[in-house]
Parts: sequence; structure tokens; C-alpha cells
Amino acid sequence: MNVKEFNIIVSGVGGQGILFTMDVIARATLKLGLNFVQSEVHGLSQRYGSIRTELRIGENVSSPLILEGTLDLLISLEPLEGLRQAPYVSERTTVVMNDHIIPPVSAYIERFPIPSFEEVLDLMRSLNPKDLITLSAYKLAEKAGDYIVADTVMLGAAEASGALPFPEGALREALKEVSSEEYRNLNLKAFDLGREAVSLPR
Amino acid sequence: MGDLLAPADTFEVLLGNEAIARGSLEAGLNVAAAYPGTPSTEIGEALSKVAKKLGIYFEWSVNEKVATEVAMGAAWSGLRSLTMMKHVGFNVATDAIFTLAYAGIAGAMVIVSADDPHAHSSQNEQDNRHYSEAIGLPMLEPSNSQEAKDLIKEAFGISDRFKVPILIRTTTRISHQRTPVKLGEITAGPGKGKFAPKEPDRYLQVGAIARKHHSELLRKLKEIQMNVSPRFYKIEGSPDSDFGILTSGVAYSYAKEAVKLANLNAKILKLTMTYPLPEKVIGDFLSSVTTAFVVEELDPYLELRAKAVAKDYAPDVRILGKLTGHMPRVGEYTMRTVLEGLSKATGIASPIDFAKIDERSSKVLSKVPPRPPVLCPACPHRSAGYALRRAAGGAAFIGDIGCYALLFEKPFRVEQVTHAMGSSIGIGNGISLATGEDVVALIGDSTFFHAGIPALINAVHNKRKMTVMIMDNKITAMTGHQPHPGSDFNAMGEKAPAVDIEDVVRSIGVDYVKVVDPYNHAEMEKTIREALKRDGVSVIISRRECALLTVRRLRREGRVGEPYIVDPDKCTYCRVCMNTFACPAFVDTGSIVEIDPTICFGCGACTQVCPYDAIIPQKGSLNWREQGIGV
Repeated sequence: MNVKEFNIIVSGVGGQGILFTMDVIARATLKLGLNFVQSEVHGLSQRYGSIRTELRIGENVSSPLILEGTLDLLISLEPLEGLRQAPYVSERTTVVMNDHIIPPVSAYIERFPIPSFEEVLDLMRSLNPKDLITLSAYKLAEKAGDYIVADTVMLGAAEASGALPFPEGALREALKEVSSEEYRNLNLKAFDLGREAVSLPR
Repeated sequence: MGDLLAPADTFEVLLGNEAIARGSLEAGLNVAAAYPGTPSTEIGEALSKVAKKLGIYFEWSVNEKVATEVAMGAAWSGLRSLTMMKHVGFNVATDAIFTLAYAGIAGAMVIVSADDPHAHSSQNEQDNRHYSEAIGLPMLEPSNSQEAKDLIKEAFGISDRFKVPILIRTTTRISHQRTPVKLGEITAGPGKGKFAPKEPDRYLQVGAIARKHHSELLRKLKEIQMNVSPRFYKIEGSPDSDFGILTSGVAYSYAKEAVKLANLNAKILKLTMTYPLPEKVIGDFLSSVTTAFVVEELDPYLELRAKAVAKDYAPDVRILGKLTGHMPRVGEYTMRTVLEGLSKATGIASPIDFAKIDERSSKVLSKVPPRPPVLCPACPHRSAGYALRRAAGGAAFIGDIGCYALLFEKPFRVEQVTHAMGSSIGIGNGISLATGEDVVALIGDSTFFHAGIPALINAVHNKRKMTVMIMDNKITAMTGHQPHPGSDFNAMGEKAPAVDIEDVVRSIGVDYVKVVDPYNHAEMEKTIREALKRDGVSVIISRRECALLTVRRLRREGRVGEPYIVDPDKCTYCRVCMNTFACPAFVDTGSIVEIDPTICFGCGACTQVCPYDAIIPQKGSLNWREQGIGV
């Protein structure tokens, strides 16, 4: 298979499983024999800081960072962190977004208004994304058995969005491989719930 | 995390840092030593995980200088050794490294400097390429994970041949990128060395001996420049183009794509050994173009040297870059930086309308609340900061390098300084001397061992009056929980003697030493007030394990505490909790403050903060005494 260029950002806050989510995508990409480069920043703020990791698939990609306006898929585990990727979102972007806002505590102290989810959606729409898919990943994760697998719910939703340049099943296989024994079944269940949530008529 | 021991000839997804670790294993590594520091840490983490299995030795040393000396000692004994550090850590090690260049080595040795353009997790964005020339050690710069792995092997080879250590310089976007990497055979294993200097004065650097070894080093560098450096470059793009790009490291990856995107007729000279530079290669390239555009992050290192070469080879070539205002000197680059620079240099329009993107996205971004880094829920530093604010409000707060640096934020504001490892106590010496006012120096345990002890000795001997708070969680937490000399285990996963901070402090001659659980707010406040009243140096050890480890420990012990809740009848919406404690689990609903159960770790420290006792446990919550301090 051949992919010219496909750019993905996974964003959210520290502790939501952002790096794990991208690990699964990277594993799937590797197994398909596709070239890619992924980038992330480590250090400070292990929990509840703003986190983003990006991955670029393509025969000739070399820059580890995505160029503004050229994002193909945004998976955001937190809506405000989704909006923070605004410079990258354009007409070619599919957005898959969790609906649970985690307000930064500093916003309360500084009295910075926190947009409602409806306002987040309007702001996202102002960027004219190709598709905007939202879901309640935490609720679905709880349904699967534990809210901590909200990240894999989002992966399932991302697959069902049809945006990824992967054949059916590739992401699920990768998830199986990357998951620890302990979480494998829970992860797969969460993945399927995420996939169903998006596949159903919206 | 990639599998560091995956078989040869397979592809594995490796972080740049893991690729460096794997490369060193393929190069026959025997010994490695390092002090953690972003963005270099994962090299050591990767080695730590496989060291025992392969029979090699890895340690987290007390600081970068000692790590370098450990690796030096091993290399002088004929082994293959590695040390790695962040760019500012390199400053700490330079006292040993400058003279090491004269001394040379008996085995082979590689030193990795992981620079941090943009200062993502650092106090500055110094450009360590300058060190290579200043010290006189060859430097290789990879531009991706694969190259990082391959260059480490090359570096060990060159080091072995010329008997000098080789520097590898990475930057954050190399250290922290993941790509598929084709693997080679692992040859690392245990090594038994012998310290047998070839000449009696080999490692005695002084006067005439030092001058002799200096000349020898310069001879080696000349030979490397003539015969080795010209192997480490490539030229790509349109051979007949009269527009050339000069680049190295991660900047190459941006330049390469930007040229293609802009449909620019150009050729690229990508330099991989950036000291000593292959003069003739650069000269010939410059002679073949009319304009040379230099793409490099931070300082105009290549640009200045290209100008020097051009004087002899191509005096008429136009060299554009930072010195001509085409490219920025601050911050890291992206493809956009290069595209905008190329537009300025050539007049071609950028293929992307950045102005339009900026206009559209700035409208969105202005509505998104900033999310600065924040102390984790349950972080003991939050409690220490809370107590300091209340009990030592008027003091000068001199902070240090660690998670607690986040106490500079509202509502705590008990860090007015973040400077260099161990500096808090040293700077506190000076401020106390100059002002005679209350000084509180905050320092972490790992930082205290790293460079804080000499400054504490200085304070005692010179009769300073100051209070030092050592935030002790018995681990290097910020970089991901590496052991340090105060931990009871080491990087090989073995039990190790823990050096007790209390004993160290007492032996220096501090008579006021109190160990307090920071979650005990009343006790902590009382102790701070008492310490500030003391003449001389007083030390408070704020001791509790990192909250992330408490969560893991409680889970292991099968007694995870339930989140705390807010009694809506008792909450008066006074917002005292928000304005003095600011845990990320607090949610302001507009009528009360609630606790987000998905964020709350269940520590219960905040129960002491509410004036109305509205924060209460639920069934299954553990209080902070029940949880134990864990260390």
C-alpha cells in the first residue's frame, strides 16, 4: 500500500493516555510497512498539562512536526486541547473529539471564561473541518468497564470515521499487540464501543 | 516503548533516545552512566531496562560530571563507555570533558549532548555545537532515529581508532521522535578492563605535558577533518541549481520537505559531522552556487563557518541566514520557519497562506483558556507550597530545578527563582548576605545531591541565616522516577545503600533539622515559622513520596482510596480552596466547588484547606495518615 502524506495529531491532557493512543497508531503503521515519523515532548507536568503528539505517514515525510493547515486527522481526548490545535485544522481535517471538558485550574484563578461544549463545537466549525465527530468517551469507557480506557474508545471512533489510511481491522490488531495482558480485553471492548458509537447513524 | 532487544534485520519503532541506546548496544557497549535530564533521559531508561540481561553496567550517577568521570574511568581501563546528558547538564560535566580531550582514552567513549531548542523543558536554549570546537572533540549530528542509531556505531568506531571521545549532539525533536528503525546485531556485553596507561604521563595533565597532549589532539583533529569528516555529508536536489541550502540535524528534515513543498529548484548540503567540518566539501558546494541559504536552529554556527570557508573558495557567494535576518535565532524551527525564510530569500510565494491560517486560528485560540503545566493532583509540593505561602509569606523564595518549580504559579508564588541545578542554596547565600532578610531556599532531593551540598556547606561555614527546605521524595521524580543516591535501589534494579539526607545535613553542622510530612499542614506551618526564627542555617525536610507512586503503591497494596467529595450543603462558594490550594481536581460550577472524581487521587490533603469542612471523604476514602508517606 502507498500513502503520499497523512498527518495525525492526538491531543488531550496528561494522564489521558495520549501517548498510548499514538503508540497504537504507530504500531499499525509499522505493521503495514508504511514510513512514518512521530513526535512528542516529554518532561514536566505528568498530569493535567497540555499534551500533544503528532504522527506523519508517507513515503517522503521527514519533518517530525506537522505544517499548519495540513492536518488530516485530529483525535482529541479533551475538547479545549482539540481547539488548541486550531492552526493545524483545515478543510482536509477529520476531527474526532471527546465531549468531556477538563477546565485548567488556572482558568478559575484567572477568571478566564471556559467555553461550553456547544461553544467548543462552534469554534471548531469556524475552522471548516471536513468532518466533526463527537462522542462521550468517558461514558462509553465506563460502559466497557473503566473510565481509564476512554483513549481506546477514541481509537475505535477514529477508525470508524474512515479517515485513517488503514485497511479494516489493522488498528484493532495493533491495539491487541500494544495492550498489556491485563488491559487487552477491556481495551478491545472499549475500542468496539467507540467504533459502534460512530458507525451508528448520527 | 520500543523493544530494545528486538532481533537484527527487523524494524522496530524507536524513540530517538532508544535508537541511541540500541546503537550503543550494537557498538559493543560495556559501561554507561548518566544523570537524567529532558530530553536525554530515555537513553538511560532504555539501558537500565536491559543492562542486567546483557551483562553491561548502567548507573544513574549523582550528577553529569561524576557520570562523565565514571564513563572516563571505564574508557581509560580499555572499555567502551557512554555518557549522556541534557545541554545544561553538559555545562556541569565540562570541567572533566575539556581536559579529557587532551588525555584521550584507551577504549572507546561517546558523550551525548541532548539540546533543547525552544527550552521546552529547560532553563535556556544554549547551542552545544560550540562546545565541540571549544573542547576539541569531534561532533556528529543525527537528523532522525535511524541515523541516531547508525551514528552511535560510527562514533564508537572513530573513538576507538583515534582514541578520543566523540560527541553526539541531538535536539529535542531528534530525542523525542519515533520512526521505524532497521536494527543490527547487538554486541554489547560485560567487559573486564585494566588500568594500564600506555605512557606514564598519559593522564597527568599539567604544564608541558598538557601542552604536548594539546598538540597531539590538534594533530588528531586535523586528520579527522581531512579523512573522516568528508565521509559524513550528503548533497541532494538539483545538481545544476545555483541556489544551495546548508543544513544539519533536525533542521535538514524541515529544509528537505520545505524545498519540495515550495517547488524550489535547489540543492541541499546536509552536514553530519559538524566538527571538524569538511572544509573542501563546503568550499566546493559554495563555489557551485550563487546563493547559499543556511538552515540551522539557534546560533549561526554553520553560517559563520561557511562565511570563513567562502573567503577562500567562493568570495562572491551570497550567504543568507540569521546574520542577514532571514532566519530566527530564538526557538525551534518547523517547516513553516524554513518556508517563510525561503520566501524572504527568493521572493517565491509560500505554498501555504500562513496569514490566513493565523487570522482564522487566532480567533479560536483567544477563546481557549491557557493550560500551563501544573502540579499533579495530590502532589506533596502543593501542600508544601501552601504552607510556605501562609507561614513565610514575606521571605525571598529561591527555587531550584524540579517539579516544585511550578510553585512559582498562582496561588503559591513561592518560587521567585529557577536558575540552575543546586543554585537555590548558593543564590540564597548571596541574597541573605546582601539583605539580611528571611530567605527560603527550596530544593529537591535529587538536586540537593547533584549540586546543593557544597552550597549548604558554604552557608554553614560562612554563618548565613537562611532556611532550606529539601523536598524529599527519595527519587528523581520530574524526569520519570529514576533512583538517586537517596534511593534504596539503583539503575540495575538492585538494592542499594540509601544516603540519608538528614545525616548529611547534620554532619555539615546544621543543628535545626526537622523532617515533616507536607500533608500535615499545621505541623508544616509551625515548623516553617520556627525555622525562620532560628539564627544560622535551618533545614526542613519535606518528606513524602511522589503522588504518582503513591497511587501505584496503594493499588499494589489493594487499598486504593476513593476520591473525596464536596458536601454541597456546607460549601459556601468562598473559593478559598481554589484561591489557595488549586488542585486540578477542583471544578468551579459557578455556585459551588466540586471535585472531579476522574482527577482526584483521593489524598485528602485539601480537607485541611476548607474553612467550612465541606470537603469530606466518601465510603472507601483513605485519609492522608492512613496512606503513609511511602518513603
